[in-house]
Amino acid sequence: MRPGPRPKNHYLFLSYLFILPAFALVVVLLLVPMAQNLYYSFFKWDGISKAIFVGLRNYVAFFSDSNFIRSFVNTLVWVLVTLAFPVFGGLVIAIFLRGMRMADFFKSLFFIPLTISFVATGAIWSNMFSRDLGVLNGILGLFIKGFKLSWLTSVPLNTIAMLFAWVWQQLGTSMVLFLAGLSTIPRDPVEASIIDGANKWQTFLHVTFPMLRPVTTVVITMAMVNSFKTFDIIYVMTRGGPYRSSETLAVTMFRESFTMFNMGYGAAISVLLSILVIIVSVFYIKNMWKKDLLFY
Amino acid sequence: MRQAAARFFTYLVIAALALLWLVPVLSTLLVAFKTPQDFVSQKFYQLPRVFGLFTNLGNAMGQYKIQEHVLSSLLYSGAGAVIAILCASMAGYSIVRLRPRFYFALFLIIYSGTIFPFQMYLIPVYKLYNSIGLYDTRLGMILVYSAICIPFALFVYRGFYTTIPREVEEAAKLDGCGPFRMLFQIFIPNSQAPTAVVALFQATWIWNDLLFGMVLTRKESIRPVMVAVASMMGFGGTSVPMLMAVVLAISIPTIALFVVLRKYFISGMVMAKSDQ
Repeated sequence: MRPGPRPKNHYLFLSYLFILPAFALVVVLLLVPMAQNLYYSFFKWDGISKAIFVGLRNYVAFFSDSNFIRSFVNTLVWVLVTLAFPVFGGLVIAIFLRGMRMADFFKSLFFIPLTISFVATGAIWSNMFSRDLGVLNGILGLFIKGFKLSWLTSVPLNTIAMLFAWVWQQLGTSMVLFLAGLSTIPRDPVEASIIDGANKWQTFLHVTFPMLRPVTTVVITMAMVNSFKTFDIIYVMTRGGPYRSSETLAVTMFRESFTMFNMGYGAAISVLLSILVIIVSVFYIKNMWKKDLLFY
Repeated sequence: MRQAAARFFTYLVIAALALLWLVPVLSTLLVAFKTPQDFVSQKFYQLPRVFGLFTNLGNAMGQYKIQEHVLSSLLYSGAGAVIAILCASMAGYSIVRLRPRFYFALFLIIYSGTIFPFQMYLIPVYKLYNSIGLYDTRLGMILVYSAICIPFALFVYRGFYTTIPREVEEAAKLDGCGPFRMLFQIFIPNSQAPTAVVALFQATWIWNDLLFGMVLTRKESIRPVMVAVASMMGFGGTSVPMLMAVVLAISIPTIALFVVLRKYFISGMVMAKSDQ
């Protein structure tokens, strides 16, 4: 649906005036800064003294910076775990919940964490995982005498613990979206395939799942983008530590830019992060263009 | 027989997961109600001996002035969402109905603000705010939050306004209704659903934000509430019951908002897609 011819405009000035506030805010506070950020990424700059042009050296430095490499690997772990648990797990739970008694109760339960902030989630799970008075050590202590693990200060337990909090918070998103998707699938093709002698698994694989594809694309894109950007939970639970062992790219970018004031290097990390996020979203944006979602 | 076994298995899995999801909620409630003395001396599953919630909240207000942060955050959420809604509905109306030259390019430019991660403009905004005096001010926070909320809000309003029938407009036009009255008396009053979606998502997002509050503010009176909670956790000596009482208090507004506006939630989720 391409729009028809533009109607003759009696309100030319007004029509631009209406767009101006939105345009000005976004351009001044988001788009121009993005361009500046790209520019900064080619400089060595502490934010105060004069910036020195270094070309691509900030980017080349990634390869020899062990903190960066560990942060990059951690980020990939976050993305992969997100795909496995909140996304795939959310689908499984959505399927399980359909037609189950008390489904509404379970839905609300998995949904609650979604409405609270990452900061609150981090605080709640810090208490769960705390060494001395934490719930988890308390429960395990009932079975194993004197059990005490320092979850948040040992590698790789700290990342596993934070991923646990993350999954707890995120599962609801994909579950809700998959449930919404499942409810739009018509009964006829599903019944037809059962009559044709397909078992439940075959029906799901060949009928239901393909029809869920639009939702699946949305959920996967959203989950990957969000996990690439993970910041709050890590900042709150471990501050990226101990010894920067549990940082992801967003945390490393923050530390380099606003704690160590390597702003050029921080900018370069954020450019890389943006490229990763864009690559993941391209798939989805292309889909949206095709379906004319952007045209009315 | 096999089906019964399968059903039993699914119930078992869901019940186990439900338990896992419930434990942190219960534990938070339990700890928030305990006094620091009870928290240290009791087992994790024991009920509090003394009702400590209000004392805990009182301590948080005394020691960390948490109420000031809550007020700041309420202001940011409210003002940010309102400004975004106003700007986006005006722009959306113009793009859909007045259609000036380059309207689609203008839409794409504004919408592109949502594709990049926040980190992409954090440093320049920090520098900009420092040089024009918006660093560590309420106005600065409101402006940056509004700007971030506008692209998604515009996307929602633009989509919705195309569904408003032309007949309504034609009638109003015959009555001599110009664009201003058209927008404020016909379009905005008739868009409760998109406004609910935008308000719910954006106010919640602003309330929950940590990053911008940390980078763009310093004074206690300006810092949003999530930053205050994060810094409470940074000090080793913070009493856990107090922290959990604060967590409870700052989570109730968003939970309540979602319960009240639940029916708009799914449509919003589908619209938000990769946005948030």
